[in-house]
Amino acid sequence: MKRFRFKSLQVRLAARLAALYVVATVIATGALIYEAYDTASSLNDRELSGRAEDLARAVSRDGAGQTRFALPARLASAYADSTDDIFAIRDAGGHLLTASPVEFGTQVSKWPLAKGDPSYFHITDLGTKEYYGLSVEVGSAAGPLSISVARAAGANALVSSVLREFVFDVAWASPLLMLATLGIGVLVVRSGLRPVREISRVAAGIGPDTTSVRLTSDDLPAEIKPLVDAINHALDRLERGFVVQRQFTANAAHELRTPLAIVTAALEAMQGDSELTKLRADVGRMNRLVEQLLRVARLDSVTLDFDAVDLNEVASSVVATMAPWAIAQGRSVAFVGADTPARAKANSVAVADAIRNLIENAVLHSPPGGEVVVTVQSGARVSVADRGCGVPLDDRERIFDRFWRGKGRKTAGAGLGLAIVQEIMRAHGGQVAVSDNPGGGALFKLAFAFADTVEPSTSSSRN
Amino acid sequence: MRLLVIEDEPRIAEILKSGLRQAGFIVDAVHLCADAREALVLIPYDAAILDLGLPDGDGLELLTEVRTAHNRVPILILTARDAVEDRVSGLDTGADDYLIKPFATNELIARIKALLRRPGGALGLELHAGNIDFDTVGQDVRIGSTLLQLPRRECAVLEHLMRRQGRVVPKSILEEKLYGVDDELESNAVPVHVHHLRRKLQEAKATAEIHTIRGVGYLLTEIKE
Repeated sequence: MKRFRFKSLQVRLAARLAALYVVATVIATGALIYEAYDTASSLNDRELSGRAEDLARAVSRDGAGQTRFALPARLASAYADSTDDIFAIRDAGGHLLTASPVEFGTQVSKWPLAKGDPSYFHITDLGTKEYYGLSVEVGSAAGPLSISVARAAGANALVSSVLREFVFDVAWASPLLMLATLGIGVLVVRSGLRPVREISRVAAGIGPDTTSVRLTSDDLPAEIKPLVDAINHALDRLERGFVVQRQFTANAAHELRTPLAIVTAALEAMQGDSELTKLRADVGRMNRLVEQLLRVARLDSVTLDFDAVDLNEVASSVVATMAPWAIAQGRSVAFVGADTPARAKANSVAVADAIRNLIENAVLHSPPGGEVVVTVQSGARVSVADRGCGVPLDDRERIFDRFWRGKGRKTAGAGLGLAIVQEIMRAHGGQVAVSDNPGGGALFKLAFAFADTVEPSTSSSRN
Repeated sequence: MRLLVIEDEPRIAEILKSGLRQAGFIVDAVHLCADAREALVLIPYDAAILDLGLPDGDGLELLTEVRTAHNRVPILILTARDAVEDRVSGLDTGADDYLIKPFATNELIARIKALLRRPGGALGLELHAGNIDFDTVGQDVRIGSTLLQLPRRECAVLEHLMRRQGRVVPKSILEEKLYGVDDELESNAVPVHVHHLRRKLQEAKATAEIHTIRGVGYLLTEIKE
């Protein structure tokens, strides 16, 4: 069976601290109580021994050599008034000199004489009370005596109640103290882990676009610093790998251009049949693919410069550029501008590229004679609508993946166009989404994050 | 018509030469800035095709030199796409058009012809699109051998569309052209003229047609059989 483990370091530390504290509290409280009771009982012992000595001083030998016992009046009345305190005194010969009460003396007479260390006893058969006491050998004017003194159980009520109160105090304060300590422990652990949470937040933001970000290890606990340093080194190596790979893609695509241009031009110059037409189309596809690979590689590696861009201007010029191609495909394009200049903080070349890719995609999916409509809306939004078969709900996330191609779709592209659009929008902090075009077809929407439509217009309104 | 091709990649230069020769141009090709500089001074070319990355210098510097020397020869820049982005300003330094590598030879020829069709260009006097012939001096329009009578404003629209054939002419540009003809221009003058012109071309069985690019402008293309 697998043991249940807490995943959170914070919970783990707090739980262990709590367990440690519970054990420590139990031990400390136990030791304290034990010590208190021990002290109380030794106090008791000492009191009993003291009384034995007091009693021994009351024993004397008279001129006739007779042993006499005379308690001072104060003590005599104390013993006479209480049945809590009892005693019996025997001489070295074992004869009972005196006892209070007499029954105790009778019992004691049967016991061996006390020698050396005090011997403890517990009697239950004397009257209605229970007695704890000791027998001790004490020297006196009449020679060594064996004195037994005892006190009724519960007679030292003060000590007991003090003890009980103390134990009770400790008992209810302990859980409170424990909770407080636990709370402090959690807070301390939390604040100790704050730098860890901070670097976790930074680490969560690291992606293919932000490979240069590193985790700071300045405020970190010494135990975690080596881990963070190791992660940073791993990131260094990954970044180098990324750069090499991007560079390779860019170089490969770039190097492919010239031979492709040669092949393209040579094929065009040749006279021939339908086979040649197909070959030209194939080379055309390769050209497009190489071009798009280059775009992707560049988008991955180059940070774009942003300017205030009028989307009306960019979109209409892309429509103008793309129109001859669309018409050659038997489709058409149209532009619907916003009444107010739709300004976005953007890179105009990249935005033009995104719109061009969307138009290309829309034209390729349009029925013959279909019109692709590019619309700019205030709020820095551009949409491209077609009358094709639309994009099924299930595919709407994946169509933006690199090299993704819809099932059964006979498109010329490699599946990079929409991925490029998404990369461009991501670089702008914007979004691209696809939905149904009312009346049929697909509607692609670009939303730029840094829109500024309030800025006064400098260009005249367009048709 | 004589063209200068400035291109250092021998295979591309070769293909350019053969493609342009097939299209009826006389072509000289050089692969160094220095040779190009000399050739442009000696021979009055009708247009030049300039590759930006040359072994002995930068094509853009050559371009600046040529324009500083008041040589107005139409120049089309051939460039890799990244160069366009990084140095798009170069187009403002005096290039007339640019084409991105890899390019289609047909596209290149079309662009060169468009440059030559400009007023003052080598093809600027006689414009052709499909079976439409436009004599800009006499303002005569013929479809095949038939003379087509057009009002002045429609003539102006057609001339401009033919000069820029295969490319979109913004509506605003056509409006500017018509202002020169007619000072009192109605707001929908351009669409109305284009509409009439399109109908007349169709009736005369012209093999070029005018497309409307809604929201942008108009485009004249040849009809392919």
